[in-house]
Amino acid sequence: MRRRFVLIISLVVLVAIVGLSILLVTRQPVAATSVPSPLLGKTAPPLAGTALGGGKFSLVAERGKIVVVNFFASWCGPCHQEEANIIAFAWQQRLKGVSVVGVVFNDTIDASKAFDAYYGTNYPSIADPNGTFAFHYGVTSPPSTFVIDPQGRVAEVLLGPVSSAQLNDAVARVRA
Amino acid sequence: MILTWLGRIALDAAFLACVAGVVFQVRTLRGGVSRAGIFAVAALLAMVGAVGVMQFALVTHNFSLAYVAENNATFTPLIYSITGMWSALEGSLLLWALILTALTLAVVRHYREEARDAVVAWATLVMFVVGGFFILLMVGPADPFLHNPARVLQGAGPNALLQDNPLVAVHPPLLYAGFVGFSVPFAFAIAMLVTGRVHDRWPLEQRRWTVLAWGALSVGIVLGAWWSYQVLGWGGFWGWDPVENAALLPWLTATAYIHSVIVQDRRGLFRIWNLSLAIATFAFTVLGTFFTRSGVLQSVHAFSSSTLGPALIGFFALTVGAGVALIAWRGDELRSPVGVDHPASREGLFVANNILFVGFAFVVLLGTVFPLLYEAVNGNQVTVGTPYFAAVAAPVSIVLLVLMCIAPVVSWRTVDAVVLWQRVRVAAWVALATVVVLVATGVHHGAVLAAVFLSVGAAGAALRTLKGVIASARRRHDLWSAWRAPSTGGMVVHLGVVVLAVGIVVSTSYTTRSEVTLATHQRTVIDGQYVSFDGFATVSNALDKQTQLVVSVDGHPLRPAITTFNGRASQPVGTPAIDSNLLRDVYVTFDAVGGNGATSGAQVATNVPAGSVVLGVTVEPLLSWLWIGGLMVGVGSALSFGRRRHRDEVPS
Amino acid sequence: MSIDSAVLARRRLGSFRLWVLALVAVAAFAWASTPSASTSAQRVAHLENLVKCPSCQDLSVAQSTSSSALAVRHEIVAMVAQGRSDTQILTTIEAAYGPTVLLSPSTSGVGALLWLLPTGVFAGLVVTAVVVTRRR
Repeated sequence: MRRRFVLIISLVVLVAIVGLSILLVTRQPVAATSVPSPLLGKTAPPLAGTALGGGKFSLVAERGKIVVVNFFASWCGPCHQEEANIIAFAWQQRLKGVSVVGVVFNDTIDASKAFDAYYGTNYPSIADPNGTFAFHYGVTSPPSTFVIDPQGRVAEVLLGPVSSAQLNDAVARVRA
Repeated sequence: MILTWLGRIALDAAFLACVAGVVFQVRTLRGGVSRAGIFAVAALLAMVGAVGVMQFALVTHNFSLAYVAENNATFTPLIYSITGMWSALEGSLLLWALILTALTLAVVRHYREEARDAVVAWATLVMFVVGGFFILLMVGPADPFLHNPARVLQGAGPNALLQDNPLVAVHPPLLYAGFVGFSVPFAFAIAMLVTGRVHDRWPLEQRRWTVLAWGALSVGIVLGAWWSYQVLGWGGFWGWDPVENAALLPWLTATAYIHSVIVQDRRGLFRIWNLSLAIATFAFTVLGTFFTRSGVLQSVHAFSSSTLGPALIGFFALTVGAGVALIAWRGDELRSPVGVDHPASREGLFVANNILFVGFAFVVLLGTVFPLLYEAVNGNQVTVGTPYFAAVAAPVSIVLLVLMCIAPVVSWRTVDAVVLWQRVRVAAWVALATVVVLVATGVHHGAVLAAVFLSVGAAGAALRTLKGVIASARRRHDLWSAWRAPSTGGMVVHLGVVVLAVGIVVSTSYTTRSEVTLATHQRTVIDGQYVSFDGFATVSNALDKQTQLVVSVDGHPLRPAITTFNGRASQPVGTPAIDSNLLRDVYVTFDAVGGNGATSGAQVATNVPAGSVVLGVTVEPLLSWLWIGGLMVGVGSALSFGRRRHRDEVPS
Repeated sequence: MSIDSAVLARRRLGSFRLWVLALVAVAAFAWASTPSASTSAQRVAHLENLVKCPSCQDLSVAQSTSSSALAVRHEIVAMVAQGRSDTQILTTIEAAYGPTVLLSPSTSGVGALLWLLPTGVFAGLVVTAVVVTRRR
């Protein structure tokens, strides 16, 4: 009787572990989630500054275009993960009225420049002195991506590493 | 390119050494001579070589390795270059494999006299298999020596937040030492199952290895909590984050194992159960590795996702499957001739201990994977956070404290109520008196009163046991033997746990957070703490420039600051300042500055007059008790490493 | 037992009964002196620990100082002042910010598993222990 008990328990544990393994192995890596931020539908807080590679960026000047704002840091793993996706997205959308800008979050200028140079970032990144932009956008952990419609309102907020498909979908929703 | 080749050759050599080790162990099992020593040394030397190549590349900022380009820069200080090896996925596997090969050699050397004994031979074989697996991960999908074809002059940079704290050199290695250490009891559990020899001295022997790993893991976890507390800025120390939970899971089952093995030694009980625990602990370390490295769960601690997921899950399933199959096969033969005589005897209380630890491990696992399960079933997302885990942890901890009050002083096999009461009487009255004092001074929080009451009781049981140990050592005129006595380490650990428990309950129940605006030379009182602000100070050195606030808390100077690294115009990082004493911690952050204080780098609050600052002040009573308790746990586990005499009360 | 040890045993058990009485008295006193109705501030603090800051990974709005956390805290304070119940407040916040904003899922539906499964496992462990370790 004892033996049968042990066998039953073993079987239960085995089934549970196999089930757990199947569940875990079929999961996709974490992608960005659309977060219902209090900013949705409101005018996006101002963003302006000198780009890390030279030149200037101002959110106000981009009115009429869809703007994708990506808060990033060189020390954040998911930011490394998503950088290639954002670069691909920026390239695809470059002639279609979409601007992309990166904002440095809690990081040194040198490290951010190195990050951009390493990945070959094809869009400007601006610094965030005093963390003011992050504060007004409610960013507490990178990567956080904001999609701003041509009228300057926040259309979508994505928390986590974005894929180019997610960005394309978001932009399509804004256009619709 | 040369570094890539050197590193890969070293890894390939290490892998081949493990494979050869397995092959030759099979020969040893068939009656040959043991050559494990040679291959263990070879594997270790090869891993040392691989680690050496990586360290050389990091320290010399050699960006021909992609790993170095992604985790290092020319301005990275030496210590953070060295620790950069374990700041990302592939390099962390180097550290893991290094510790594993070193441990394999230690096991081989320790048992070299019995190298041809079947249990030792099988265990060594399993160690080589595990080592080979982790090295294979690096030979295959997670190559740390990937060549970087671009000629970059500057790396992508290290973690700026980590530049604050040298704990990055201690916390991960200790954690890994713990995780890797659990492969030894696992290997021996498999060996015992395969050979069918569970009745001998092995369980207690394995306890020593487990205690060592457990001690490293415990101290590593507490150091991690301390580090988050110092750096992250919200005054907390544990977030029930998936990766934190992943470290907790093996710790819980290992704690259960350390206790129930004592019963197996004394009375031959729980044989199957202990083997299951040893296997489960190791399986949890593999699962934890998966959570940290697969990218399946979002966490601040996780490395970025990779293709390692399926390999690690496969290894996890294989480990558990093999263990379950072996146990089902051998289950009958392992039957113990005796049982538990009384549920409140020491054996019975150890059963309760195990139920609590293993049950809680299940709850932590469930809470961690539940969002994945929910999304798979439902398509929607859900969060499982602190309120859930705390709701289960609280009653479990209460019952565990009750057990700690009684189990050290209750007898084996029988319960004599009169004798038991006589032993706990003093502690019981002292505990009650303590509660009376607390209630009289206005403490009405039920959880705090219960926790303190039980903690005093548990401390009393531990102290009584220690007193007995010292008394018997004195009778033998050998006071030093008290250090090495079997119960000493465990009771010191219990005392440490009690201190931790009180610290956790009191700080989480009575923490207050406030924001206060102060003008220069203004002072105020927050929760009984005098806080005054006396102006700004700017401090520069080679690494950074800080705008500090000259703050005084209860007369002690504190400098919460905003730090700007490398003296160049770069993003500032908030640096909290903590005034800590035995009674409370005051955690002060520089939240904002008034007017248009553009020079300081801090957040500007326009509704605050110029020259004033906004401070975040968090008062946390008894928080320092956590670190003291953690230290005591570490000391206690070191003391537990001494040999216990195997007591043979059970006919084999 | 000899007469002496019987007397001793009775005396010991007597002191145990005294201790239990004292414990019950102290516990009753502590229970009675806790303020019964929770103040608004306590309710707000309790609710703030149950809601996640929308832009954080696992911090509650009580712990985070981000602007989104502050916004949610204002809403909680306002709703408590309006006299709404805890369940109503949590439901409203969940409707506004999505189900992931609650740090502990609601207990209906699949969420009930979070409490049923542990109960089952603990019960199962106890049963296993009793069955397997029964004295022969």
